[in-house]
Amino acid sequence: MLSMSDETNPLMMLVWILPIILFVFYGQHIQLLVTSGEIKKGIKKLDGFRANSKKELIDYVKNNISSINDPTKKIEQFLDYFTIMPVDMDPTGIVDKVRHTVRSREEYTRNHVKSISSELSEIEISRIQTLLEISSSLQMIYKIVNHMFLTAKKQKNYPLILPVQMMLPFLMEHATAMNASIPAFKLGQPLGDGIGPMVVGKMMLNSEKEIISFQTALAKIEYKNRKLFLLKAEGPGSTVGRPDDALQKIVDTNKIDAVIMIDAALKMEGEDSASVARGFGAAIGGIGTEKFQIEHITTQNKIPVFSIVVKQSVKEAITLMTKEIADQADNVRSQVYEMILENTVEGESIVVIGVGNTAGVLQ
Amino acid sequence: MIFSKEKTILAYTVEKCPKCKKFHKRDFSEGDILFTNSSKCNFCDGITTIDKIFGTVLKK
Repeated sequence: MLSMSDETNPLMMLVWILPIILFVFYGQHIQLLVTSGEIKKGIKKLDGFRANSKKELIDYVKNNISSINDPTKKIEQFLDYFTIMPVDMDPTGIVDKVRHTVRSREEYTRNHVKSISSELSEIEISRIQTLLEISSSLQMIYKIVNHMFLTAKKQKNYPLILPVQMMLPFLMEHATAMNASIPAFKLGQPLGDGIGPMVVGKMMLNSEKEIISFQTALAKIEYKNRKLFLLKAEGPGSTVGRPDDALQKIVDTNKIDAVIMIDAALKMEGEDSASVARGFGAAIGGIGTEKFQIEHITTQNKIPVFSIVVKQSVKEAITLMTKEIADQADNVRSQVYEMILENTVEGESIVVIGVGNTAGVLQ
Repeated sequence: MIFSKEKTILAYTVEKCPKCKKFHKRDFSEGDILFTNSSKCNFCDGITTIDKIFGTVLKK
């Protein structure tokens, strides 16, 4: 008897063939629709972060300065300021150009903040400056992601949306961390990144301090017949100081035999937070100009650079210091002394640099 | 969200008495700065200094 099995049934064939045709011709559109939904959620979150950071900044300025007019307009003007990085077709001298551009921007921001009110203290200026940078960065991230999304949607171009989809989780991690860092900056609390200044700050206590370069403190102490030059950003304001300029000044007038840098480092996935690691080379983040300068000085003078890092996530680095990280301070300090004894002999001079934001950390 | 837990960060300040070496943990208050003098020691007549400031996560 002749029977129509599933394979020869015209209706069943349609059920199979129709989706194939649909996916062949409209696959990219379907993928675009699915991906768009995820990206839209991300953009909505980014918009929320942007609005929240702006609100927090304006509230902070209004609550802390009594005798000023509404600062909203001035702050809004600043949020859209951009920085054009120098052209890198001919890389010779690019570091100096980048340093000049970045420092000019910092200087401009500081002057802009100062212009809000004359009654602002240096600590308040540094806090507002940091909050402005956070707000400005969140605004920039939102604008870029939104632009890429809208362009892909307008062109109905699925491949254009792929880079956004790939980068979004990382951008969201950074943006969430920046948004979460606002309360700590407002209250002047120490951050995870402040572990370097915390370690060196304690070593500096009860010794005479001087300001050696912009927002950077220096103390000279003796340790087991060795001369230690202790450097950290000048606390308790929210600043990272200029350790590269400070090192240059020290090296110009002293013979230095070793440099030890203490910093927070991004942990890899699977690594324990607040774990301590030792290594070689300049442990300093940022845009790279300070690292370049420190490497240049130490190479020219044949000074070995040792480093101790405390591992942490992006969020831990820029939000209130966790208990695990704070508990490592004494351990790191003893490792610094150990490193000094292992790598230098009596009569030698060592520069110890506590790298990072010194918010809430005195010296 | 159904599966996400709301996280609150509680900030604490740990004071250390340089005289009797005892620690005292209290809630963070605005103006607390690491290594500054804080309050009178509860155990002796020393003046405590702020030794640590940190946050712990409270999951709801």
